[in-house]
Amino acid sequence: MSEEFNDNKTIHAQSSETISGGGSSAAPDIDYVRPAEVEEQDLYHGHSFITKWVFCQDAKVIGVQYFLLATFTGIVGLILSWLMRLQLGFPGAAGFMTAEHYYQFVTMHGMIMVVYFLTALFLGGFGNYLIPLMVGARDMVFPYLNMVSFWMFFIAVGVLMASFFVPGGPTGAGWTLYPPQTILEGTPGSGAGILLMCLSLILFVAGFTMGGLNYLITILQARTRGMTLMRMPLTVWGIFTATVLAMLAFPALLVGALMMSLDKVLGTSFFMPTILKAGEVLEYGGGSPILFQHLFWFFGHPEVYIVALPAFGIVSDLISVHSRKNIFGYRMMVWAIVGIGALSFFVWAHHMYVSGMNPWFGFFFATTTLIIAVPTAMKVYNWILTLWRGNIRMNTVMLWCLGFIVTFVNGGITGIFLGNVSVDVPLSDTYFVIAHFHMVMGIAPLMVIMGAVYHWFPLVSGRFLDEKLGKWHFWTTFLGAYSIYFPMHYLGFIGVPRRYFEMYDSPYMTSAVGMNEFISLAAFLVGAAQFILIYNIIKTLKTGKRAGSNPWKACSLEWLTPSVPPEHGNWGDRLPVVHRWCYDYSVPGAKEDFITQTTPPSEVQNTGVEKT
Amino acid sequence: MSNLIKKLFGTLLQKPWDKDQMVLDTSHTGKTFDISSQKSAVIIIFGIATVLFSLIFTAYIYSIPPGQDTMYLLKPNLLWANTIILFFVAYFFSRITKDLEKKETSKIKKNLIIVGGLSYIFLFGQLIFWTQLMKSGNYVTTNTYFSSFYIFTAIHGLHLLGGLFFWGKVSSRVLKLEQNKILDEEKNISALSWYWTFLLIVWLGFFLMIYVFNDTFIDWCKSLVS
Repeated sequence: MSEEFNDNKTIHAQSSETISGGGSSAAPDIDYVRPAEVEEQDLYHGHSFITKWVFCQDAKVIGVQYFLLATFTGIVGLILSWLMRLQLGFPGAAGFMTAEHYYQFVTMHGMIMVVYFLTALFLGGFGNYLIPLMVGARDMVFPYLNMVSFWMFFIAVGVLMASFFVPGGPTGAGWTLYPPQTILEGTPGSGAGILLMCLSLILFVAGFTMGGLNYLITILQARTRGMTLMRMPLTVWGIFTATVLAMLAFPALLVGALMMSLDKVLGTSFFMPTILKAGEVLEYGGGSPILFQHLFWFFGHPEVYIVALPAFGIVSDLISVHSRKNIFGYRMMVWAIVGIGALSFFVWAHHMYVSGMNPWFGFFFATTTLIIAVPTAMKVYNWILTLWRGNIRMNTVMLWCLGFIVTFVNGGITGIFLGNVSVDVPLSDTYFVIAHFHMVMGIAPLMVIMGAVYHWFPLVSGRFLDEKLGKWHFWTTFLGAYSIYFPMHYLGFIGVPRRYFEMYDSPYMTSAVGMNEFISLAAFLVGAAQFILIYNIIKTLKTGKRAGSNPWKACSLEWLTPSVPPEHGNWGDRLPVVHRWCYDYSVPGAKEDFITQTTPPSEVQNTGVEKT
Repeated sequence: MSNLIKKLFGTLLQKPWDKDQMVLDTSHTGKTFDISSQKSAVIIIFGIATVLFSLIFTAYIYSIPPGQDTMYLLKPNLLWANTIILFFVAYFFSRITKDLEKKETSKIKKNLIIVGGLSYIFLFGQLIFWTQLMKSGNYVTTNTYFSSFYIFTAIHGLHLLGGLFFWGKVSSRVLKLEQNKILDEEKNISALSWYWTFLLIVWLGFFLMIYVFNDTFIDWCKSLVS
């Protein structure tokens, strides 16, 4: 293996004066850059197909691997949602489906979408691809560990999918996996299914911890010269804060999954109270199901922000680039990200209002929940103020961003309803809750993902995705998603309960039947529309328009690599040197409407300062 | 700590678009803290492990069954001997750290072997204590008190085994090095030293927890109040 290190080069970064051939003679002081102090990184360059594309240590390839695998799990989740909607809209149409199947599909859909799709995609996919490029590093600080992180995720997904094929099938306890029913007979998948779920989650957390270590240390310790924390794009701030949350929240999931496995396998009673079953006392006793709820939601609520914060960061950057304006209130945006991250650890029990908690406890969590709306609203105002008087490019990327803002506000407002105990109690366990969280942490982040794919695809592949197909994709998804979730709010108000396989002879069966059919048809359409993107990607890779270097005329570092797509090591012989923040758009006095982060001050001497 | 807070808030207050700030920012090295990547990794692992063990502590406190003899674990037993072994490990690591600071490398190899050996003895001692517990009829399923005890010690043991894996990697490199080259491994060795110190802190925290949160102690507190 050692000969494979032959290509390793130790290259010392040089100042911009050297890079540009000393073109700054007019004002050498303002371009001064201190000599490199951060050690150059030795990189492992694979030569065979296996080391280059499979067991690869290049963060960009790992990012794409994460993206593809997360997309695969997302498609599985999508198919499960189709099956659920088929049953709800047209009961009995899927002849094979029993109530047990339905619960299993609900459970797997929820867990897959939240953990294995959204989290993996934002942090594993975008995190790996963008962090080293955006902070000017050659790679993650521990590339080998980064590779192991992906393969742990791969095994976790394999274990999860294996649960479809074991006797009894996957767990059907709901994605929250509440004990005691999760591991007791009578619940679908209470045997091997729940054990595989717990094992998969443990593997996921272990793998993610390895990746998270890399993200944090690369951002804190391996930035290029001149890249201060407050010059970083908000994308990096979002991913950074989300990773901190994940590192502190995932241990709760790990402990919960581990203890539940022990309850199942060894017969411990961490979460199991004394239980009578058919008149017989089970061997369990002394444990607390509420303890699991606390552990789960101590992970579960920060998880919402683990998904949302990278989305906030990414959408800020997309809006800034495509409206040719600096992001309004950059510092406030950073404070909001950090503030939301900190507050997210103090709101978890708002998911447990109906668990019989002390009213003062509920009061505390309702208060913190409403407080978190303040920094969140600040971000929304700032996105709108960034757009205000901007030179807006109404392309596919911008459409997704606008779609995100509207959807996020929508989902956020219903969150304020549900944050109040007295409103939550009657709405809890109705379709109102389904509508709320799908809007705020399903569709809204998905819109950011789509925008980000259209934005960064030219960097990854060197080609533009087709705009016409992109607009079809957007409008079908946007209108379709609203057709699904707006009516669900109404269903919630009239009291239609969630988690029901069918409505039987209840009044809901007659009053909501038309609406359920309509929602299901919309869901089929929206799901199918996502394949437009897959077609677009395949078509673009073959015949797409070439993008060249920095096609969006962006300021941030990821677009400034010597080659597009960037090669392993990212920066050729010399690391970049950063001279400014990454939002210098439409600066008064500048020749063009953007000044890249590597442009020294001497080259743009007569420019003003755009107030923010 | 106050410096860290000042640095953090000072950073968040910067205006990166400001001309004066731009000059300052451009002279930034790109590193936030003046420590190695290895030590940064160990600090982050501390953070994660602290949350993990805190949650198990919480589960432990949450689940002490009524009428449990909560002093049982603290009666003279092997746990005390194992705690002393962990103190010895920390002592030998502190000697290694001091030697590294003084650039005195003659005893580092020997002391590294001692800390590894003592750590394995600790693990072995823990296994023996488990067998003693089981012989006395206290299994993992006996009640939630013992369930928590077993799971805590198991995870602490796994945490230690993870450290021993890296100890093995670093030690095998150090043992092959000539005396004057040992300082090249300084970052790795001091990261290991931090890791073991943290293991001791967690262990002591656990010890304190099982000592403090028991019926006898709570009754004694109540008697003081009344």
